[in-house]
Amino acid sequence: MADELRFDGRVAIVTGAGNGLGRSHALLLARRGAKVVINDLGGSHTGGGKSSAAADAVVEEIRAGGGEAVANYDSVEDGAAIVKSAIDAFGRVDIVVNNAGILRDVSFQKMTADDWDLVYRVHVLGAYRVTAAAWPHLREQKYGRVVFTSSAAGIYGNFGQANYSMAKLGLVGFASTLALEGKKNNVVVNTIAPIAGSRMTETVLPKDLLDSLKPEFVSPLVAWLCHEGNTDTGGLFEVGGGFMGKLRWERTAGTTFRLGRGFGPEQVKARWGEITDFAKSERPASVTESMAPIMANVEAGPSKGGNDFIDVDAALGYQFPEYTSRYDERDLALYALGVGASREPLDRTDLHYTYELDEGFQALPTYAVVPVVNGILDMGRRGETAPGLNFGLDRILHGEQYTELLRPLPAKQKLTHRARVKAIYDKGKGAVVVNETKSYDEDGELLAINEVTTFVRGAGGWGGDRGPSADVNVPPDRAPDAVLEDKTSDSQALLYRLSGDWNPLHADPGFAGAFGYAKPILHGLCSFGYAGRHVLKAFTDGDASRFKSIKARFADTVFPGETLVTEMWKESETRVVFRCKVKERDKVVISNAAVELYTEVPQKKSKAVSAAPAKAEAAAPAATGKITSGLVFEAIGAYLTKNPDVASKVGTVFQFKLNEPASQWTLDLKLNKVAKGETAVPECTLELSDADFMAMTEGKANPMKLFTTGKLKISGNVMASQKLDFLTKIDRKAMEAAAAGVVASAAPAAAAAPAAAEAPKAEAKAPAVFKALAERLAANPALGAELGAVVQFNVTGPDGQWVIDGATVTPGRNAAAAAFVTLSDDDLAALAAGEAEAKSLFMHGKLRVDGDVRVAHRLGVLKNA
Amino acid sequence: MGRRVNVIGVGMVKFAKPGASEEYNVMASKAARQALADAGVPYGEVEQAYAGYVYGDSTCGQRAVYEVGLTGIPVFNVNNNCSTGSSALMLAKQAIEGGVAECVIAIGFEQMEKGALQAKWTDRTNPLDKHVGVMNDAQGVNQAPFAAQMFGGAGREYRWRYGTKKETFGKIAWKARQHANRNPYALFSDTLTLDEIMAAPEVFDPLTRYQCCPPTCGAAAAVLCSEEFARRHGIANPVYIAGQAMTTDYASSFGDSMMKMVGYDMSKTAADKVYAQAGIGPKDVQVVELHDCFTANELITYEALGLCGEGEAEKFIDEGNNSFGGRFVVNPSGGLLSKGHPLGATGLAQCTELVWQLRGMGDKRQVPDARVALQHNLGLGGACVVTMYRRD
Repeated sequence: MADELRFDGRVAIVTGAGNGLGRSHALLLARRGAKVVINDLGGSHTGGGKSSAAADAVVEEIRAGGGEAVANYDSVEDGAAIVKSAIDAFGRVDIVVNNAGILRDVSFQKMTADDWDLVYRVHVLGAYRVTAAAWPHLREQKYGRVVFTSSAAGIYGNFGQANYSMAKLGLVGFASTLALEGKKNNVVVNTIAPIAGSRMTETVLPKDLLDSLKPEFVSPLVAWLCHEGNTDTGGLFEVGGGFMGKLRWERTAGTTFRLGRGFGPEQVKARWGEITDFAKSERPASVTESMAPIMANVEAGPSKGGNDFIDVDAALGYQFPEYTSRYDERDLALYALGVGASREPLDRTDLHYTYELDEGFQALPTYAVVPVVNGILDMGRRGETAPGLNFGLDRILHGEQYTELLRPLPAKQKLTHRARVKAIYDKGKGAVVVNETKSYDEDGELLAINEVTTFVRGAGGWGGDRGPSADVNVPPDRAPDAVLEDKTSDSQALLYRLSGDWNPLHADPGFAGAFGYAKPILHGLCSFGYAGRHVLKAFTDGDASRFKSIKARFADTVFPGETLVTEMWKESETRVVFRCKVKERDKVVISNAAVELYTEVPQKKSKAVSAAPAKAEAAAPAATGKITSGLVFEAIGAYLTKNPDVASKVGTVFQFKLNEPASQWTLDLKLNKVAKGETAVPECTLELSDADFMAMTEGKANPMKLFTTGKLKISGNVMASQKLDFLTKIDRKAMEAAAAGVVASAAPAAAAAPAAAEAPKAEAKAPAVFKALAERLAANPALGAELGAVVQFNVTGPDGQWVIDGATVTPGRNAAAAAFVTLSDDDLAALAAGEAEAKSLFMHGKLRVDGDVRVAHRLGVLKNA
Repeated sequence: MGRRVNVIGVGMVKFAKPGASEEYNVMASKAARQALADAGVPYGEVEQAYAGYVYGDSTCGQRAVYEVGLTGIPVFNVNNNCSTGSSALMLAKQAIEGGVAECVIAIGFEQMEKGALQAKWTDRTNPLDKHVGVMNDAQGVNQAPFAAQMFGGAGREYRWRYGTKKETFGKIAWKARQHANRNPYALFSDTLTLDEIMAAPEVFDPLTRYQCCPPTCGAAAAVLCSEEFARRHGIANPVYIAGQAMTTDYASSFGDSMMKMVGYDMSKTAADKVYAQAGIGPKDVQVVELHDCFTANELITYEALGLCGEGEAEKFIDEGNNSFGGRFVVNPSGGLLSKGHPLGATGLAQCTELVWQLRGMGDKRQVPDARVALQHNLGLGGACVVTMYRRD
């Protein structure tokens, strides 16, 4: 057999090899070429007596088969002597099979200390002594294979074998650690739990079963574990009667008590199901994996507390799923009406909130809270909430509201909202939960921030963080700077709820009655809207764009029909403290409130960014106003004369084509000269505006950037243009000096340029092209057939339309044409003159085709014969 | 051939617009944890990590991986332009295949800036200079984003050759939105009508705005392992890589063809190699994630991958063979066009989608009876990785 697993040159020690499993392992290893030390004390299976006969018989059997073996009669407790036999006889040791064992089976209450000790000494201490003596050899030669013999009795327990079970599972732990320690030196350690008919089991198992559990069915696994081809280490295998399989540990997913919240036996009892349920389980294979859930809980830190209503650990910081909403002018107007704007048809004061055609139409800033509260209510209706928040809407009151705008609300927008549980406070009897929602506009830019603070009745008392307690926004001790009042209408709540807050408490008299109210109450956020509007009216002349933020505490209930009085104190240019009262009952309904104002209206970022480069561009020509490109080229010439190595390094002929105003320059770095005008053989041609050229030489514009943004067109050797960075080294001072001397002569040139630019365009060439085509088609109708389709031409600069249909060419349009070709008058003329190619024009985007592009393949018909 | 390589866990975060995402390390570690949880493998088992990203300073990969665990394993940072994600995947696969490791993770992430791609290093030779040169000769250069000019130019060349209608390109964007509408991970899930797509501002003829993929932030990850590892962990019937090839530019890229400059030959050769490795061809494939950075590239790549014959893309599209009910479902995820294109993450997000598809976890966008999946990830500059996945 070509791939027979061999042990040639290997030396093995098998303990307890005189009979049974040990003998079978030894014979197999020897047959496969190993030199074997046959260790056997020659005692009985219960540990009595001593004889050399058993070991000698096995050695004889091996030698008879042509193998090599020596006998050793020492006890495994004298492990060093056994290993010495191997070294003496064969000069090394590679394999150790710890197999020797005895039994002292007796039920525990009858077990003597001797029974316990003897079993321990042979199985555990013996395996230790033999392995410990062999270990330095294995480590040093960086090769070793060790097998321990465990038992199902050790793994699962077996009646009458307390001592034996202890010893056998002890070996498993012993081997697991040796496997780890041996890894580095290629010492592979495994354990088997065999079952076989032997002297040790013949008292336990029936005869016919024993016969089929031959030791020879176990030895192949032992041999493979001892072979150099096996590198699996630290395993435990059950084997016998032809079966072999590997064991591992399995642990339930278990349960975790967050530290710091206390748990006792009651909690363990309550969670017994979780602790013992293997439906969800893991299989830790190392101490690290074993520790993972423990470390995770320790790392999570102490619990922040909680109770049946609120689990702060689970809820705090929770990010709600993102949601979107849209609003437009109609929603804004409806909201503004809901908060009492434009009660009087002749009063224009609030019309810019309620009438979208009003010149100064604006969103009432407090609208920003509406989509957020609607989002929260929608979640409530769907029964969704943050994990760890286990209370119904019936338990909560909207306690405080903070709304901030990063810039004015647009007239319509699609908003994306991202909400999280920002804070949770334990207020003793009740609890406070702060929901922070950030609303982003269509470009992903943050537009508004809302903090909805809810008071949860009866949910506090876990001894947690009480949160900020100082009263903020307390009105100063003086008369208000402004007071505005508005009577709400009897149907105010019904009007306000159309903006989205569907809570029946504000609409259904029966429902309100159940909560102890004489009639449906007004939304707190409705009063909030009144107050915000009042502050703007009093301090910004109704200009909503100056609004930055509003903060308010809802102190008491308002009924529709009552009069809201807002008292306001201007504390600074940017801050107005206010409170709201119900006039009829003289009750404060909104307290601890303030509006912040912007002094400068913030703009959308993306707009500000796009405005900046435009400014810079405008500034560029002004800064270089005195120096002309001509002077720069003159200075380049002077620089190159002084630094001839630059030219020799670059060695390229550049053609500059500047426009606005137009001029052409040749920069010949082969001949090292600069000249006005064109050259016949440019290697690299650069086309750009005069201003960009100046910016480039000043180091203000990067050539590559100008190139990638299309402001610099390069033909020929594109990459040669990267060698132009020396242009930034030209002496500006010399140029400025020169500029002072040439102002007079430069002026007329500058004046001439715009005149040239404004010169009337040459007459359109298209009519002549199509006239000539018509004549040729009339003379040769086959030519028309070549085009094969109705083609509509749209010529630009100057504009004109023509249709070619078979042999006819007519000015105008044909919507049913197969192809629509758009190109400039000049390019059309170039095509007709054979100076341009249709494909190249198409690829350059100068000839555009809607419909069947292949018609453009045949535009050769335009060519004047 | 080396050992068979299994993809046992995948994960990704929902893609977001620049500025609206979490930071790269947060996104990447989320994706990695999701992939590990999906695989049911603790991070301690992972022997190596391959982290792909394009924009960011050196060793962002470690920073991302450190949030998952500090096990001291080798971490390699991979940068290969738009094909970065699948380049990381390929290195990870090679480590398993070659017997170097039993279990590795590939992570791709990108935190992009707003606006079109631009060169970051303008004081040195631009790696795309030769490509730009080809474009300059073929069609000049204008102000449009350079990638749109390149792939748009390839679209022009294709139109010139086969007379393809502009609307045909638009139909690809329409399909992408239809698919993305069923994918909760996609950036753009609103559907669009073909009229809306065609009426949108033109970026570069024939491409309108909706035919260009958006700059995107996101992350995705995949856990790969050997057969033995899978067996040891009791992972039955995993998705495996049946073939994979990377190609880079050939001489033909630098001729006079825009289609070839943007990688037609790279795609075609890589696909041919994969079909040869797998021993099966395009006709055996049910679902494809294809690098649709622009509609024009999806269109020409149908032919490069052999999904249809040369010059047949328009017919292929008109007959609906690129979507549900047709011969293939191309980009069930919504593709780069609608799902978004965070450069480093894209290759692994494609992998994630296909693994879900092969496991029947495609939800509302599940391709019926998907058994063989094809992935195509292309980067200018250039590299193209084509991968075939199977599940028995």
